Amino acid sequence: MKDFFRDNGFWLLLIALLLSILLGLASVLLSGSTDPLSNLANTLTAPFKNGVSAALDWAEGVYGYVFHYGELEDELSSLRRRVAELEEQARQGEEALKENEQLRRLLELREQRKDFDFESAKITARSTSNWESTLTISKGSAAGVEAGDCVITESGVLVGVVSETSLISSTVATLIDTSIEVGGVVTRTYSAGILEGDFDLMNQGLLRLGYLPEGAGLVAGDEVLTSGLGGIYPAGLVVGRVQGVFNDAAGMSRYAIVEPSVELDGLIEVFIIKDFDVVE
Amino acid sequence: MTRQALFRKWSVYALALLPIWLLDACILNRYPLFGIRPMLLPLAAVTVAVLEGSRAGAGFGLGVGLLWALAYPSGTGIMVIGMTLVGLLTGAAAQYALSQSFLGCLLCSAGALVAIDLWRIAVRLFVRSAGWASMLRVAAPEILYSLAWTPLVYLIFRAVCRRVGGTRLA
Repeated sequence: MKDFFRDNGFWLLLIALLLSILLGLASVLLSGSTDPLSNLANTLTAPFKNGVSAALDWAEGVYGYVFHYGELEDELSSLRRRVAELEEQARQGEEALKENEQLRRLLELREQRKDFDFESAKITARSTSNWESTLTISKGSAAGVEAGDCVITESGVLVGVVSETSLISSTVATLIDTSIEVGGVVTRTYSAGILEGDFDLMNQGLLRLGYLPEGAGLVAGDEVLTSGLGGIYPAGLVVGRVQGVFNDAAGMSRYAIVEPSVELDGLIEVFIIKDFDVVE
Repeated sequence: MTRQALFRKWSVYALALLPIWLLDACILNRYPLFGIRPMLLPLAAVTVAVLEGSRAGAGFGLGVGLLWALAYPSGTGIMVIGMTLVGLLTGAAAQYALSQSFLGCLLCSAGALVAIDLWRIAVRLFVRSAGWASMLRVAAPEILYSLAWTPLVYLIFRAVCRRVGGTRLA
C-alpha cells in the first residue's frame, strides 16, 4: 500500500483534483440542477436507500409498539379527545354560520317591513293526523302570541296562522291545512283570490287559490303572495308558486293549485308576526 | 285475581302498547305512504278489548284515549271517551256477536276506524263547508292502510294475552 501511494499517489491526487474541478465546473454550469455524476449515483443508490429506510422505519415502529405501547395508547386517546373537541367546534361553527345567515335574512326582512313586530319560536311538535296539518311552537300567550297571528320563516315565507294558544305554546295551522283561508295575489297579473287548504291537496303538500277573476291569465310558475285584503293578515308574504290552473267541477270558475315555498318538514325555527300596519 | 297480579297484568299490556305507540308517533308519522299515516292506537284498544272482553277493553281504551289526548299534538279530551266507548263496544261485539279471534278483531277494528272517521267527517261537515267526497278520499285510504297493521298489533297483544291474559296470573 505504501509503495502504491509512493508510486501512484501523485496520480491519485491529480485524478482527485481533476474530479473536483470537474464537479465544481458542473455545479457552476448546471446551477439549480444536480450534476450528472451525483444524479447517476443517486439513481443507483436510491433503491438501497429506500429499502434500508423502510426496514429501519418498520424496526422503529415495532420497537415503539413494543416498548412505548402505553405512551402510544395515551397519545391515541388524547388525539381522539382532540378530534372530538375539534368536531364539536366545527359543529358549533356550522350552527353559528346557519344562525348568522338566518339572522341576516331576518334583518333584511326587518329593514323591508319595519311595521312587523316579531317573536321567534321553535317548532316542538308536528301533527300526526291525516285530517290536519299543524305545528306546535314554543311561544304562547305569555309571549303575546294570539290566535290569528301569521307565522313566517326568516325570509318572509308564510308558514301558517296561529289557531290556538296556551300560556307557553301555540298551535299553528299550516298554510295547507283545511282551516286556512287567506287572501292571495299573483304578482305577475295582480289577480287576487282566496288561498285555502283542501283535503285532496293537503297530503300532497299543496293548497288552492280559488275565486280567481274571470280571464286571470295565470301560468305555472307564477309567484303568489298574501294580498292583505281585509287587514287580517299582512300583505306581501311569500306563499308559493302556481303549479297549474284548472276549472272547478261545475265549470263556473277557475282555481290554481299552489306549491308552497316553505318546506314544512324541514322547519326548526319560525317567527310570529304579532303586529303589523294595515295598508288600505 | 289479586290486586298485585292485576297490576302486573295491566303493566305488561301497557308495556306492549309502548312499541305500538312509538311506531305510530315516531316512525310511521315520519314516513307516510302516499301521504297517508295509519292510526295504530285504535287498533290497540280494539285488540285488547277483543282478547280481554268488554269491561277490560273499556279500561284499556280509557288508557289509550288518555295517551292519544295527551301525547299527540292534535289530541283532545273527546278521544278519552271515544276510545273507552270503542273498547267497550268492540269487546262486547267480539264476546257476544263475533268471535274472540283475529277475524273478530279485524272486523271490530274496521268498525272502530270507520266510526272514528265518520265522526271526524261529521264534525267537519258541521263546522265548515268541506266536501263529502274529498273527506272520503282521506278516510278510505286511512282506514285501509290502518287495517293493514292489524295483524302486527294482534300478534303483539295475543302474545301478551297468552302469558298474562284472562285470569292466568290469579
